Amino acid sequence: MTKILLVEDNEMNRDMLGRRLTRHGFTVCFAVDGPSGVRMANDEAPDLILMDVALGYMDGWEATRLIKANPATRRIPIIALTAHALASDRDTSVKVGCADFDTKPVDLPRLLGKIRGCLDGSIPRMSAV
Amino acid sequence: MDRANAIHPTRSLSPAMIYPMLDWFIPARLKENNELKQRARMFLISHLIGPFLGHTITVYLFILDPMPDYALWVLASQITVFWAFPFLLKWTGWYNALAILSVQNLILAILWGCYHYGGLSSPFLPWLLTVPLLAFFYLGSGARQRFLVLSLIALNFAGFYAAYAESSFPEHIPLSSLSGIGIISTLAAAVYVSIMALYYGNIVASQSELEREVRRHLATARQLQEAKAEAERANKAKSEFLANMSHELRTPLNAVIGYSEMLLEDAQADGREEQTADLKRIHGAGKHLLTLVSDVLDLSKLEAGKMEVYPERFSLGQIIDEAVAKTKDGIAANGNKLVVDCSDRDAVIETDMAKLRQAIHNVLDNAGKFTRNGTVTLIGRVKGEKLELTVRDTGLGISKENLSNLFQNFGESEGATSSKYGGTGLGLALSQKLCRLMNGEILVASEVGVGSSFTIRVPLLYRKAKESEPAPLTAENASTSLAGAAA
Repeated sequence: MTKILLVEDNEMNRDMLGRRLTRHGFTVCFAVDGPSGVRMANDEAPDLILMDVALGYMDGWEATRLIKANPATRRIPIIALTAHALASDRDTSVKVGCADFDTKPVDLPRLLGKIRGCLDGSIPRMSAV
Repeated sequence: MDRANAIHPTRSLSPAMIYPMLDWFIPARLKENNELKQRARMFLISHLIGPFLGHTITVYLFILDPMPDYALWVLASQITVFWAFPFLLKWTGWYNALAILSVQNLILAILWGCYHYGGLSSPFLPWLLTVPLLAFFYLGSGARQRFLVLSLIALNFAGFYAAYAESSFPEHIPLSSLSGIGIISTLAAAVYVSIMALYYGNIVASQSELEREVRRHLATARQLQEAKAEAERANKAKSEFLANMSHELRTPLNAVIGYSEMLLEDAQADGREEQTADLKRIHGAGKHLLTLVSDVLDLSKLEAGKMEVYPERFSLGQIIDEAVAKTKDGIAANGNKLVVDCSDRDAVIETDMAKLRQAIHNVLDNAGKFTRNGTVTLIGRVKGEKLELTVRDTGLGISKENLSNLFQNFGESEGATSSKYGGTGLGLALSQKLCRLMNGEILVASEVGVGSSFTIRVPLLYRKAKESEPAPLTAENASTSLAGAAA
């Protein structure tokens, strides 16, 4: 069973996305802020991480950096979730080592496509332009 | 002096009342210079009033000696000739020459009167006081003018002194008979000087009134500037408030959309038709509201100057495919056919892809919304250094008066169309502003009942330019420039 770590500080968003992912056959675990996200990436060893970048305490970029700096969690693909489809967000997500990024509110079929792409490696990782 | 009139509208007797009459004599060239105009008015007043006062003396002399000799006739002509000066001024326009001539004539007339009537004890002597007064009124009080006036007086004195040295003072009327005229002459001179002084005082008063008026206007201008700055601050605060509010609104809205979508999926899976329809409405309304909130957020960001351009590289085909994928269902929903015509799919563009996508999406979406059972055509072209994306529809069309405020916030044609076709009224305003931000623009041409054509024109390569803002676009020049491009 594929395990996804969802790092999201908004309770409703966490619940919603978690339940929908569960329905699609994923095991979902949650973190509510950056530090717990970093810790759980290490403890839970998920197959993939969905990272909200606008976290109140320690933003998603910083959490991603820490996860990528830890040899134990470095290989876990991370999809950044941002409120806007800004090219600057895309650049930052590439810089900190995200595999992909998507916008909120989540378009589930599109996000599922990106999740599957990251998991089976069929979509090449984004590279710095 | 219309201003003086405006300042004292209720003053019953003011010099301003005779200005129209005085100004009739002043040539247009003199009126251009305010100082010259004022002097010309003094010149005219003194020439119109002076001879009346002067002639009180000649009339008295005539009564004393009803059979006068040449001395009185010369004096009377010298006084009368002053009345000709206003007309000479009107016809010739030679103000300075006439003023000097007039001063000379005045000195001559006074000295002539003194010489022939009473000599050093002549009753005309007080009139000499008027000479410098009038001369400096007419000519100004510069060093050259002072020298000129004093020289004239000295020369005239010298002339009459020579005549006196030759043959002493002539006696046309015995000196004893002239005692009565002394009073009249002095009174006339005093009245004359008083009138001129009053007039001068009035001008000074009205000028300081003008200065006060100017100061008041300056104060008002300062207040307006402060109010403007205050308004700009308030507008910025409003934009910031809206940006924050929009952000706060999105979170619960996302929950509405997300949960209704989940319920919708469940209902569809279970085949609950009625609930499916209702949930679709909730979901649709939530998405609509989110678009509106996002548009407001973007607009307030744009107006607060907080929207930045993030250029990235992509191909024309790429952005057209994305725009088509996102809007084709909406366009097809109204029974429309979507035709894509793009010959330069591989053309490379470097600008803010997300903003360009948003603009194309808005324009395409609009075309689909306002067209029923027609055709929507998307044409992508590279023209020189610019990318042109044209969306043509066979829809309702836009009337001339609606074209003019098409790109205003909430400018969607009529209130009714907005609710009927479900627009936010912000899409076009936002798209236009986004294109301007990318140094581009949106042009529109439309005919009611035939259809509309929107062209997004942006530079292929975005370059940050701070000063070169594109000229504001009006619907008129937009449609003409588009018609020109199409021809």
